[in-house]
Amino acid sequence: MKSPRSIRFAALLGLLSLSLGGCNKPAAPSVAEGEGKLKKIAFVTNGVASFWTIASAGVKAAARDLKVDAQTLMPAEGISDQKRMIEDLLTRGIDGIAVSPIDPVNQTELINIAAKKAKVITHDSDAPQSERLLYIGMDNYKAGRMCGEMVREAMPNGGSVMIFIGRLEQDNSKRRRQGTIDAILGRPDNSDHFDEISAVLEGNGFKILGTLTDQFDRAKGKANAEDALAKYPDLGCMVGLFAYNPPLILEALAQSNKLGTVKLVAFDEDDATLDGIEKGTVVGTVVQDPYMYGYKSVEMLSALISGKPGVVPSEKFLDIPARKIRKENVVEFRSELKSRLSAAQ
Amino acid sequence: MKKIFGILGLLIAVCLVTASLSDSFLSAYNVENVLRRSALFGILSIGVAFVIITGGIDLSLGSVVCLVGCALPWLLTVQHWPVPLALLAVVALSLGIGLFHGLLITKLRIQPFIVTLCGLLLYRGIARGFTADQTVGFGNEFKSLRLLATGKVPFFPGFDLPAPLLFLAVVAILAAVFLNRTIYGRYLLALGRNPQAATYSGISTQRMTILAYVVSSGLAGLGGVLFVLDVNSAQPVDFGSFYELYAIAAAVLGGCSLRGGEGSIVGVLVGAALMQVLRNMITLVTTRNNVEFAIIGAVILLGVVADELTRRIAAKRRAAQVLQGATAA
Repeated sequence: MKSPRSIRFAALLGLLSLSLGGCNKPAAPSVAEGEGKLKKIAFVTNGVASFWTIASAGVKAAARDLKVDAQTLMPAEGISDQKRMIEDLLTRGIDGIAVSPIDPVNQTELINIAAKKAKVITHDSDAPQSERLLYIGMDNYKAGRMCGEMVREAMPNGGSVMIFIGRLEQDNSKRRRQGTIDAILGRPDNSDHFDEISAVLEGNGFKILGTLTDQFDRAKGKANAEDALAKYPDLGCMVGLFAYNPPLILEALAQSNKLGTVKLVAFDEDDATLDGIEKGTVVGTVVQDPYMYGYKSVEMLSALISGKPGVVPSEKFLDIPARKIRKENVVEFRSELKSRLSAAQ
Repeated sequence: MKKIFGILGLLIAVCLVTASLSDSFLSAYNVENVLRRSALFGILSIGVAFVIITGGIDLSLGSVVCLVGCALPWLLTVQHWPVPLALLAVVALSLGIGLFHGLLITKLRIQPFIVTLCGLLLYRGIARGFTADQTVGFGNEFKSLRLLATGKVPFFPGFDLPAPLLFLAVVAILAAVFLNRTIYGRYLLALGRNPQAATYSGISTQRMTILAYVVSSGLAGLGGVLFVLDVNSAQPVDFGSFYELYAIAAAVLGGCSLRGGEGSIVGVLVGAALMQVLRNMITLVTTRNNVEFAIIGAVILLGVVADELTRRIAAKRRAAQVLQGATAA
């Protein structure tokens, strides 16, 4: 028999679990249910990031404009989580999926299976071997070259450079890094090769000392920046290629009193990065247009589902080019970003 | 005490090798960085050591780091709570989590592995829920609060002590005094060695167990606060991920037995420092940090094997000497 004390305790636990369960409300669909049979479209990202929140604003805006049921799914646990999401979407009878494959080569089979049941396009990172109908995004190699150009502008007499990136498994990060390296070293366009991660590369008056990855562990990302500053006291420039890298580098620079002395070239539009550009501690950043990735993905899928394949460009690539943001255009860029985000809410 | 000589030797060896291969290893800047990181992980490791000494395990502490690390900037920058109230809330939250674990383990007799594994899922899930998966951080504000983690105390010209090291010093001294100089520390060790015997000797084992989990979660909370103040941003999906394993590894390396009843605070500190020096060494000495885990795993395994072998050889020698002495007599 249970003592009254243990019964009280069990009741307390029950209450606690109820109240915790109450925190997890299901997300409201972007278009009210019961408006007839709406086209169901899913926008699957490659992870969870503020970048994808902006894309999700584009998805919502397109869903409203085109009157479709579109949702954004962000896999938190990598490739297996993304696979599970796509499989579940197919089970639910989704009409169209836009996906940013984490490992394009090895996910080709999954994309092909999905393409038999629904209209499938890729965004942000392509899977060119698969049966996807279209790729929406930018050329990461070209965007990387923009980054490299900013490094050369920041250091006209050359110098040493260190590259920081989350991980190099995915196609877009490989190409972004390669573009940066090729532009710094003054090599001609060649997006098909890949310089070894540990290789020290020299040319054009520059020395690229290496690439450090952190696998999304921010404490590790900051430690990488600190260790690079310790290892190379005369480091000229640091390049942060994933959205969260530049803010971590800024922290490391601030703590070693090297803000502004060591140049920092960034990628993506983290708030701290944009603040740094305004203050002059960041040379500039290359931004993609995630809002348009979201918007165009829904627009193209909606057209494909309605049987209008004519909208797809013949080369099956819809280019949404990257832009360079520097001190002169950062304020304008921020206000544009803000108005898009608030319009979606 | 003997048990930590091996790991201390390994730490010194790794430091010597790194210093000989890299000029920057002993630079003031790098030493400060390594001390700060070791202090942050050291705080987590001391917490989990308390639980391991009782024969339990705490798998939730990486998620507690995440929950607290996300809650603090969220309360301050999104909910606009005043600093003292937000700090009080996260302290209460982390101690409350420990109490919750302790009660489930002692009163309902659920296995610590299950309780804290569910905690691992629960707290990260809650953090992801209230932040809606958004990165939270302090931006350019709360500079004076952030000094708790980023501040430095001048030690001698050209070398400052990072603030987290002072936190670690206080925590470590309190923990060591508690464990070695108070009756409650003895109770904790006795409970880990033989819970039944401890109960029959009149020790309130349930209270001691609950205390251990409260200390573990409380220090994980302190670690979470310091981590987020140091890094300045937290993404609930990956913040503090796997930190429980670093902490458990440091505690076990430092002489805590996973079967309970053994452990020293100095050993835990050496274990935590070893992990961070190894990570630092890989970046300073090599140009490939993707083999980091392989190197850490291999060095630690080699160290533990060498430690075990030397101990066996020493034991054999001692036995042989005793035998010789006996025959001579």
